[in-house]
Amino acid sequence: MSPLVIPLFVAPLLAQYHAPRTPDGKPDLQGVWTNVTITPLERPADLSDKAFFTLQEAAQYEKNFLDQTNADRRDGGAQADVNRAYNNFWYDRGTKVVASLRTSLIVDPPDGKVPPLTPEAQMRQAGRLAAAREHPFDGPESRALTERCLVWPTAGPPMLPSFYNNNYQIIQAPGYVMILVEMIHDVRIIPTDGRPHLPANVRQWFGDSRGRWEGDTLVVETTNFTGKSPFRGSDENMKLIEKFTRTGPDTIKYEFTVDDPTAFTRPWSAEIPMNRIPGPIIEYACHEGNYAMTGMLAGAREEESRQAAQRK
Amino acid sequence: MRTKWAVLAGGAVLTAAAPVWAHHAFAAEFDSTKPVKLRGKVTKVELINPHSWIHMDVVGPDGKVTNWMVEGGSPNALIRRGFTKDALPVGAEIVADGYQAKDGSARANGRDITFPDGRKIFVGGSNPDEQPNYQGK
Repeated sequence: MSPLVIPLFVAPLLAQYHAPRTPDGKPDLQGVWTNVTITPLERPADLSDKAFFTLQEAAQYEKNFLDQTNADRRDGGAQADVNRAYNNFWYDRGTKVVASLRTSLIVDPPDGKVPPLTPEAQMRQAGRLAAAREHPFDGPESRALTERCLVWPTAGPPMLPSFYNNNYQIIQAPGYVMILVEMIHDVRIIPTDGRPHLPANVRQWFGDSRGRWEGDTLVVETTNFTGKSPFRGSDENMKLIEKFTRTGPDTIKYEFTVDDPTAFTRPWSAEIPMNRIPGPIIEYACHEGNYAMTGMLAGAREEESRQAAQRK
Repeated sequence: MRTKWAVLAGGAVLTAAAPVWAHHAFAAEFDSTKPVKLRGKVTKVELINPHSWIHMDVVGPDGKVTNWMVEGGSPNALIRRGFTKDALPVGAEIVADGYQAKDGSARANGRDITFPDGRKIFVGGSNPDEQPNYQGK
């Protein structure tokens, strides 16, 4: 059988996968899943004209990635060494590219890049960075939202892989789908009973999600964001569409489209496979042991006293 | 074609480098000019989030015992790999190689944590093939 023949057989079979049903007759997305992959969200600059790897290129990319990200390396000098934080065993960033062999998770625009920000979004972004630079260590409030255990830029919505805690649990009940996100351990409860979004003046950090079933696909629309936790520069006007489709006994195809005309110069979309893993998900009670916050602030106070002593 | 891919792969070495970053700014907490190598016995293992802390008694050159805290990563991945507190019992002798806290307290990040004979204590992440997590296909 020539290699060309296989995809022609397999593709229709995959498309025809019939998801099992919940007791109320909906496609069953339940389980514990991971979206871990080393395929980057955006296509690397040097692959600009290459949307897909060959198998050989994928293997080479995986090897290069693992070499480069190996935190056990001690070859970068003291500053890099500190930033590598701790041994590689604590990281869980995956070892493989996605099975489609795409060179980016972004599938649209075709260049695999997040589209440019609008001029006003660029100004907002610059303002935020400048404010953060001005008082970086005044107190916990001046630290990043991630360090304060409030949100994580990849924990969603939309949900992307990061360097650990890439796990999700989906539970369904009549009229609802629930997604537990391991990173920062937030739960999204998504009504699928046709109710309207919250009034426009009610804003939430994770937005307001509403789901509907289109054939075997769960379509989730999220609006009512605050703009306080921008996703790649998004603002409170982001409308996010996510799609969940079972493609096999142990796989979900997860797609999302970001539409935010006041932030991005065009909508953009990504596709990420989710694979079943054994549970359970262990609670990531992030702030419970956040000794690092006092450690960082104590470090900053020490720096200040050193500088003050030098001035004398 | 072969040459082209060689160039491509060379460039990809750079772009494949995901940012090496942890939950927080390690450089804000630890001093790159104060490397430490601690040898001592484990007194407590805190498998807590967002970062684990291993406590150890270290005997100084003057015979004085100091209890150090050594920072590691999020325990969730370790627990999924079957790592428990029993894997690093109280009393076990370890070597922690890292950098001391900027404020001068007895805290360090655990850049390398090994048994005195050099064996790594945690090997899950060093050998991805052993990880039970499905790896992206």
